[in-house]
Amino acid sequence: MSIRIERPEPHGGRLIERVVTDPVAGKKLAKGAAAAFDIKPTVDEKGVPVRNVYREIMSVCYGFFSPVEGSMTEAELERVLKERRLLNEWIFPYPILFDVSEEDHKKLGVSSGDRLLLRLKGKPFAILDIEEIYRINPEEVATRTFGTPENNPEVVKEPFDKKHPGWVIYKSMNPVIYAGKYKIINEPKLKPPFDRFWYPPKKSREEFDKRGWRTVINHQTRNVPHVGHEHLMKNAAYTGDLEPCHGILVNAVIGVKRKGDYPDEAIVEGHEAVNLSGYIKPERHLVTILLWDMRYGNPLESLLHGIVRQNMGCTHHMFGRDHAAVGEYYDMYATQILWGKGIPSFGFDKPVNEVPYGLKIRPQNMAEFWYCPKCGEIAYSGNCNHKERQKFSGSFIRGMVSEGVFPPPVIFRPEVYKVAVKWWKVYGYPFVTPKYLMEREKELEVDLPDMDV
Amino acid sequence: MAKYIVVLLDEGRLKKLEGSGLEKQVEKLFGGALNAFNVELSDEDAQRILDEFATARVDSRGAITDVPVAFNRVVFEEIAKNKSLGPEVMQGVFARLAEIKEMAAKESEYLPPPEIEV
Repeated sequence: MSIRIERPEPHGGRLIERVVTDPVAGKKLAKGAAAAFDIKPTVDEKGVPVRNVYREIMSVCYGFFSPVEGSMTEAELERVLKERRLLNEWIFPYPILFDVSEEDHKKLGVSSGDRLLLRLKGKPFAILDIEEIYRINPEEVATRTFGTPENNPEVVKEPFDKKHPGWVIYKSMNPVIYAGKYKIINEPKLKPPFDRFWYPPKKSREEFDKRGWRTVINHQTRNVPHVGHEHLMKNAAYTGDLEPCHGILVNAVIGVKRKGDYPDEAIVEGHEAVNLSGYIKPERHLVTILLWDMRYGNPLESLLHGIVRQNMGCTHHMFGRDHAAVGEYYDMYATQILWGKGIPSFGFDKPVNEVPYGLKIRPQNMAEFWYCPKCGEIAYSGNCNHKERQKFSGSFIRGMVSEGVFPPPVIFRPEVYKVAVKWWKVYGYPFVTPKYLMEREKELEVDLPDMDV
Repeated sequence: MAKYIVVLLDEGRLKKLEGSGLEKQVEKLFGGALNAFNVELSDEDAQRILDEFATARVDSRGAITDVPVAFNRVVFEEIAKNKSLGPEVMQGVFARLAEIKEMAAKESEYLPPPEIEV
């Protein structure tokens, strides 16, 4: 029996690629559109952007969300909410929807069978071939997406409400849904600093080949990395097969985040500083991005992460405590429960890589790292038996940053901290604020070439 | 789990505490790389902080975090004034809530970055 682990095939069996790279062919497709629509951000009750559907279109068309090909039909939405499966059986955690207001729907005058041209920043971007038009109750979709203590008692501890950013995204959606496949017809150009981190699944798989990485462990991030994150990456990467994982892939989620998270630019450059400063060799560490407005859905978000990173070619995925979580809505180990034994109320009576049409990527569930004064080093909770523990609390570190205290190198590498300060100077604030979100919404992460349609 | 507030002590703050008798209560964190006070809170005081500041939360250590910088500053001022880590500190802090909230509103969109070379 071979113990060598090979790169898994994409979720669903093949990578979805729905990007037309030839502008002449793109223009031709655009000309067949019955109407054109300028993509608008989803905003919360205060008018602050919480999502831009363009990020979902990018992630679908470049294959991050394979096998999803577009906005879901009503039957597919229902199946995802009930069983976390697509109509073709493959597991998937979240509704992916293209929503418009009743007013816009009336103005557009489109119906099933029509092609809709989607413009971004005033320029042609993608098409949506409408298969079905239906309506949702956004609040109901929001609540069913994340679960309730009554329906999902294994992991949901508190009812979701307007303090939960993911719930707010679905709650703020428009009621009219256009279902159908997307196709990008005018390829956007990623802007600095995001351009150098853009590795869609096809490209990341090629990059792994180039680097000779057979085994790759992914690190999910929405943070500027502190030393606890660095130790998580280094230690989780000892897993592998004959030898530790060849590569560590950092895949940073870029998009709207909750107030108090770090700006996206600081996140990607902060992780890059870890390898540029030699804490992990650049030959073993690759920083990449995923365009997605985080739903903070702990176990459900981990399922999406597993899909995306399997599609990118990773063999392993590290999961820590409170994975992609905010507040105390979920059990802090909900993700590890999903990957360790399954969550029947979400449709999984076994771990998500043991169910039919499940995932092939392997979870590496990690507990905690803390500083132990007795050990005199950063210790793993599974090893250290001393009583005094100084934890790497993200919020404690945010407090220290806000007060302008230069963090000691045992907490933040100085090169990483300087990246955070660099972007603090640009935005006048070390963390995400409504002002930052509004500025980012205007600029987004991409520019589009001119295309005369 | 007992709840508390961590008050970081840089050189300037340590100087202000000289002779206060509080030096012995300074906690050394991360191998002595950081100095701090852990101010223990009653359940009522902890709840009041969570109620007064929408961003405040209790982290995995039991510490209340994500409070405005102005709040932390006033907690330190009250410690220095009272030369104590006792309940009078939070009494003093709560008496200055209006002032804290005014300062917090100003810092919600802008915080001066540290003067370091990047």
